Amino acid sequence: MRFMILVKANADSEAGTLPSTEELAEMGRYNEELVKAGVMLAGEGLHASSKGARVKFSGSERTVVDGPFTGELLAGFWLIQVKSREEAVEWVRRIPFREGEVEIRQVAEAADFAPSDPTGELMAAEERLRAQVAAQQA
Amino acid sequence: MRFMIIRKADAETEAGVMPTEELVDAMMKYNAEMVDAGIMLAGDGLQPSSRGARVRFSGGRPMVTDGPFAEAKELVAGFSVIDVASLDEAVEWVKRWPREDGHGEVEIEIRPLYEVDAFGDAFTARIREQDERMRARAAELHPPS
Repeated sequence: MRFMILVKANADSEAGTLPSTEELAEMGRYNEELVKAGVMLAGEGLHASSKGARVKFSGSERTVVDGPFTGELLAGFWLIQVKSREEAVEWVRRIPFREGEVEIRQVAEAADFAPSDPTGELMAAEERLRAQVAAQQA
Repeated sequence: MRFMIIRKADAETEAGVMPTEELVDAMMKYNAEMVDAGIMLAGDGLQPSSRGARVRFSGGRPMVTDGPFAEAKELVAGFSVIDVASLDEAVEWVKRWPREDGHGEVEIEIRPLYEVDAFGDAFTARIREQDERMRARAAELHPPS
């Protein structure tokens, strides 16, 4: 099962404050544990929302709004592969954060869309796309 | 520049409503265009927050709360990671998002990802090396498939 670990933004991440060398090293050690355990798929940090944009769709209208944004925002994420939701929670408990909030969400797998894909044709098309992406990145 | 394209949740994604065949088809075509353009790095949908959890850290101690979580429009329903030349180019791609999604009412957030160079001096040679090793190992264990 794949899970996305979403790191919520805070005043520091939104201000673009960079982590200290100690914090980076601590996070590096945690990431290395994830990799050694074979659960790490990806992990990235997001720039402050002031460097981003939103696109709102309503009917045929598209409205582009530049950041910064308020409300609940993301500051980063991990993608992990584990055997259960409990295992995902256990890994998240070990994140070297002093303060903050993290959300754990299960990633949908192609098989979950079977009801919308009775012939399996779309799932096959998705597999081809993923293989194409993998080949481009190799 | 790499960007994360965040598809915000809504009442239907939070209720676990399956996409129509038409929507899956439209999304697949859109994704295929990005793959053909060589900009698509990753993309996935998330299950409703009712199947998720939150962990709040206070003084380094984690506290777990099970989903679902309120404020659907603040939640994430799916994401892609693309590699393009500028924020403008990312916006142009997002403007082509399939109209079939969310019955034409959708909000997408575009956020640039940090590259290692952004961390400056704090990202020492040792940490950089560790980061590169980690990414290589993750790719080796889980080739994108």
